[in-house]
Amino acid sequence: MSDKGASPQTLSGREIPNRRITDISNIPSDYSTTPGGSIFSTTPGGTRIFYDRAFLMQCRNSPLAKTPPANMANIPGVTSPGEIDVPKENGVQPPKGDKVDKPIEENPQFEMDI
Amino acid sequence: MNNKFEALKAEDSSGSGEEEAENRIEPESPPRPPPKPGPGEHPLQYNYGFWYSRKSQGNKNTSYDQNLKLIGTFASVEQFWRHYCHIARPSDLTGHTDYHLFKEGIRPMWEDTANRNGGKWIIRLKKGLASRCWENLILAILGEQFMVGEEICGAVISIRYAEDILSLWNRTESDTVTTSRIRDTLKRVLNLPPNTIMEYKTHVDSMKDNSSFRNTDVFMR
Repeated sequence: MSDKGASPQTLSGREIPNRRITDISNIPSDYSTTPGGSIFSTTPGGTRIFYDRAFLMQCRNSPLAKTPPANMANIPGVTSPGEIDVPKENGVQPPKGDKVDKPIEENPQFEMDI
Repeated sequence: MNNKFEALKAEDSSGSGEEEAENRIEPESPPRPPPKPGPGEHPLQYNYGFWYSRKSQGNKNTSYDQNLKLIGTFASVEQFWRHYCHIARPSDLTGHTDYHLFKEGIRPMWEDTANRNGGKWIIRLKKGLASRCWENLILAILGEQFMVGEEICGAVISIRYAEDILSLWNRTESDTVTTSRIRDTLKRVLNLPPNTIMEYKTHVDSMKDNSSFRNTDVFMR
């Protein structure tokens, strides 16, 4: 800027580098991600919230994701406590190795006799 | 293809199955308030509901609708995991059982206004693959990987006797650009081999023959 020798024509712009894909299946797997995680990306149809698989998997370890929701439907054999890795209370993890084995259903729902 | 197994199950009704179905399955009333992302959570583009259904044995009068059970709804990535991590994996389920992940406000039924003009892609899975494929599919849906605007309605994993079936429902069956884009994205996110057979069935056809997976249109690359 202070260099008076710079002539205006050297400041003429150049193309912003970009790359185009011709088919949606060619989108790279890291599309819409940043090194720190995911971002809110913009599409021609408006702003949409994208997350790639790796980021979603990372959120699985969040403390916010540890406890089951209080209002989750109770379906024995599907959402019953004690079946999978269910903490006893909010935020309190059972000691390792204390996982309760899947309860054996008293009445097998059905058996296939073929 | 599943018919003979379903027939066997119906004959085999022992009484324990339908009792549970009748006691547990109740209509959602009053409706749940819409979920909201909590502080520090990552919002999703749409809210979703997790559903469970199990074909009741013996009692043929129990409709599909009556067997549908809403497990919960969620609005953020963290809320999704709170549900998902405390639900049995699909491959641990037994019997004629389905998990459904649908956008909030859409019931996993052909007749729903969002589904009425739609259809679904169907991928038949060998036993043992259901949990992994289901997880990959729903993560792609939640992360908006399909890039087809409002077209995705939901997904279903159907646990059956000899195979498990993954379905992805979209809103407009006549929109072939969208349905082929969905097919290509499905192949990518599920890492399907190039020669995988994919089937499409419109919900109108399903209503006509009252079947989810028979008489489909078969596509091969």
